[in-house]
Amino acid sequence: MIADFRRRRAGMVGLGFLVLTALVALAAPLFISANDLSAAFAPGTPRQAPSGHFLLGTDAYGRSMVDVTIWGARISLTVGALATLLAVGIGALVGVVAGHFGGWTDTVLMRVTDWFLVLPVLVLATALASVLTPGVGTVVVAIGVTAWPTTARVVRAQTLSVESRPYIERAKALGGGHWHVMRVHILPNVMPLMLAQATLTVSAAILTEATLAFLGLSDPTKVSWGTTLQLARTVGAFSAGEWWILMPPGVAIVLVALAFTLVGRALEQVLNPRLQERM
Amino acid sequence: MPFRNPRRRAFALAAALAGAAVLSAPAAAASGPAQAQARGAHSQSTYSEADTASASSSGKTLTVGVTSTIDSLSPFLAQRALPTQIHRLMYDFLTNYDPTDDHPIGALATSWTTSADKLTWTYTIRDGMKWSDGQPVTAADAAWTYNLMMTNPDAATANGNFVANFAKVTATGNQLVITLKQPQSTMLALDVPIVPEHIWAGHVKDIGTFNNDTQFPVVGDGPFILTGYQKDQYLTLDANPDYWRGKPAFDHLVFKFYKDADSEVEALKKGEIDFVDGLTPAQYESLKGQSDIVTNDAPGKRFYALAVNPGATTATGQAFGDGSPALQNQQFRQALMYAIDTKTLVTKTLGGYGTTGSGYIPPVFSTYHWSPDPSTAYTYDPDKANQMLDAAGFKKGSDGMRTMPDGKPLNLRLMGETNRPDDTQDATYVAEFLKAVGIATTTSLVDQGKLGDTEVAGNFDLAFDSWTANPDPDAVLSIQTCATRPSAPGKTGATDDFLCDKNFDALYAKQITEYDPATRADDVKQMEQVLYTDAYINVLYYPDVLEAYRSDVIGSWDKQPQPKGVYWGQDGYWSFWSAKPAAASAASGSSSKSSSSSTGLVIGIVVVIVVVVGGGGLVLMRRRRTASAEERE
Repeated sequence: MIADFRRRRAGMVGLGFLVLTALVALAAPLFISANDLSAAFAPGTPRQAPSGHFLLGTDAYGRSMVDVTIWGARISLTVGALATLLAVGIGALVGVVAGHFGGWTDTVLMRVTDWFLVLPVLVLATALASVLTPGVGTVVVAIGVTAWPTTARVVRAQTLSVESRPYIERAKALGGGHWHVMRVHILPNVMPLMLAQATLTVSAAILTEATLAFLGLSDPTKVSWGTTLQLARTVGAFSAGEWWILMPPGVAIVLVALAFTLVGRALEQVLNPRLQERM
Repeated sequence: MPFRNPRRRAFALAAALAGAAVLSAPAAAASGPAQAQARGAHSQSTYSEADTASASSSGKTLTVGVTSTIDSLSPFLAQRALPTQIHRLMYDFLTNYDPTDDHPIGALATSWTTSADKLTWTYTIRDGMKWSDGQPVTAADAAWTYNLMMTNPDAATANGNFVANFAKVTATGNQLVITLKQPQSTMLALDVPIVPEHIWAGHVKDIGTFNNDTQFPVVGDGPFILTGYQKDQYLTLDANPDYWRGKPAFDHLVFKFYKDADSEVEALKKGEIDFVDGLTPAQYESLKGQSDIVTNDAPGKRFYALAVNPGATTATGQAFGDGSPALQNQQFRQALMYAIDTKTLVTKTLGGYGTTGSGYIPPVFSTYHWSPDPSTAYTYDPDKANQMLDAAGFKKGSDGMRTMPDGKPLNLRLMGETNRPDDTQDATYVAEFLKAVGIATTTSLVDQGKLGDTEVAGNFDLAFDSWTANPDPDAVLSIQTCATRPSAPGKTGATDDFLCDKNFDALYAKQITEYDPATRADDVKQMEQVLYTDAYINVLYYPDVLEAYRSDVIGSWDKQPQPKGVYWGQDGYWSFWSAKPAAASAASGSSSKSSSSSTGLVIGIVVVIVVVVGGGGLVLMRRRRTASAEERE
């Protein structure tokens, strides 16, 4: 399977980029000090154009845009990962339970899923984030509880397919309870699907985080790509033509989201060869 | 002036997004004439060119971009800054303020006398003034307007505070006689539009709901006559040819509503609008030096402060809310101010366009502004702040953060508004300054309504607070008196910050009955000193007003005050009344008006599309695939 993934160049490029980004984000504290990210005691003056000293200029607080963009990856990636964990967790639980029990449980759970599926994610997340106290935790919850329905659908489908296999019947005949069947037989079979689903959800989660932060629903005092854009808008950098404040976080969001999508697609193809003819 | 082809398509998206950002921004709860800054509240929909048929009729048009909203066009109900300004254009008030230095001058009244007991004011009403429907403007109209506000609580919604102390108002001939319960020094600062009795008598029944926007043109006696209004789209006025001070040179005045200042700036560059105010430093600098655009940087009438919860109480002294007990220590509060470098805030947040804070009344009102002696001023001095905090018993722990004197943890909640641009930046700075002296803070920026609710409940420690002062300081001083505190816990009161200082109240009572301007100014300055020493309302700075206009449309117009003053937000109608169209070259210049550089905007829009639409797109894409996964089974 790994060899199969390796053959997919787009997936490998995406993976390579993600590993690099994650390493830089993790190592950021080694080369970016608290002072570099201080607003009040910032190293530069606000909204400086790119120069030899600040390669990408400075943001509205006077911090180097290079530092801000790198540091922003930490929150964006963390929120993306946590929200995905939450979304895939809820999705898998609902999907497996619905697929395994069938009948009324299935009907009720799937109708709830359908309902969440047709709700516009951004609007629901915006509403949630504005009711709860603005902050990074809120954004995680808002994305998590809105992004799970697709996973639930996919996992349920796979569960149904696994359930129909003879060895499940055998396990049941031998006295395997619901918990046993779900944990030992179904979960391992839907796991790869969840993995592929997770990589795809991450890119959506990162985008939604940036969107919510841009709309002022995150904690604006934290450095993330979304809050950097939000601050740029607040101070009027858009109409002032200060592109160096907008470009780095914008490009970073696009690249990371793209990389996750590439990896997710490649994974999907590896796990489900039937998709290949469609791609 | 024909409308130029506006290429604003791209803005629709940016504007829609901005709209989404303020989904939950409710109407301002500001009350009284000293209103909280209304800028930042966004309108709900874009202006549509097709709707302003009346504006395209002959004559010179002056078009103004605005981002705030109108709560009502009824002078009895309107509380927000924008309609209050528009009422200045529609109706004459009893008095006006001089354009050069803000001192009260005659308007509807030409002269006035006071009785020896200070309780009776007699105003002589101007002869020969006419309402726009031809009826004469009389003292009876003024008496009727005041009497309605005194007897009808609905009519007192917007300006009831001005007549609260009136015992009786009568009109005989051209004399208007106002009898007071107590002497009142603000009798030349009655900012109340006088309405025509013969029109409004029919609306007494529904005065609480009538918004004065059903029948156009609206009968008035100001320099302009309201001719049309479409909520959040446009508002049009025509020059009043019979105005007693002279007909304005522009025939039409149009207000166009925009979502945010960014789109206004682009509209100004393209010549869709001729004037824009409330620019951010970045926008202001980008407009500076552009051809055909004149920028104006003037001292503002607003202070921007850090309010400290003094321990919320009701008017009867019942305590409520959960403000930190640390804030009841005066030394602690003063130490906060020594820890904050207001110079940094002015240089960074305001881009240098402002003045660091001192007295409560902004320096633009020089008669009443007070500055502390340099030896007692809160100049940035973290060492001193540390010493004061140590002395007050707030000891530093092993992690460098301070605790309460009894050892309990100390963490102050710092609150601000999401839609007031300054707050995000200032919250970040203030949090860092306080951390530097060992005070931990938790920042939360919430929408205007939520901040209001939290403050009313007394559940905050520190909050950013901003008020616009008037030439007469009474209103903005009154909100810091004991009596304005709420009647019961959690009820709304006129109070700004639950302040109650006996010395302040005594001086307040003295200044309101003091008819000698110099003595009254001294009293007011003493009040500011009390506020400063108390350190509950800590003025961080006074932001400048940043404006820009098209010099190919507006040839000249008057500022207030002069020489360094504002065009928008004047106490009076001077700018629009005095505005003269530019020389004829304007018409041919339209082709050169497309903006020379909108790189930032294009990039901004691209980024926004990616961020917002991209998020939705991915979800859609995945849904489609999910559907096929279903089919496969």
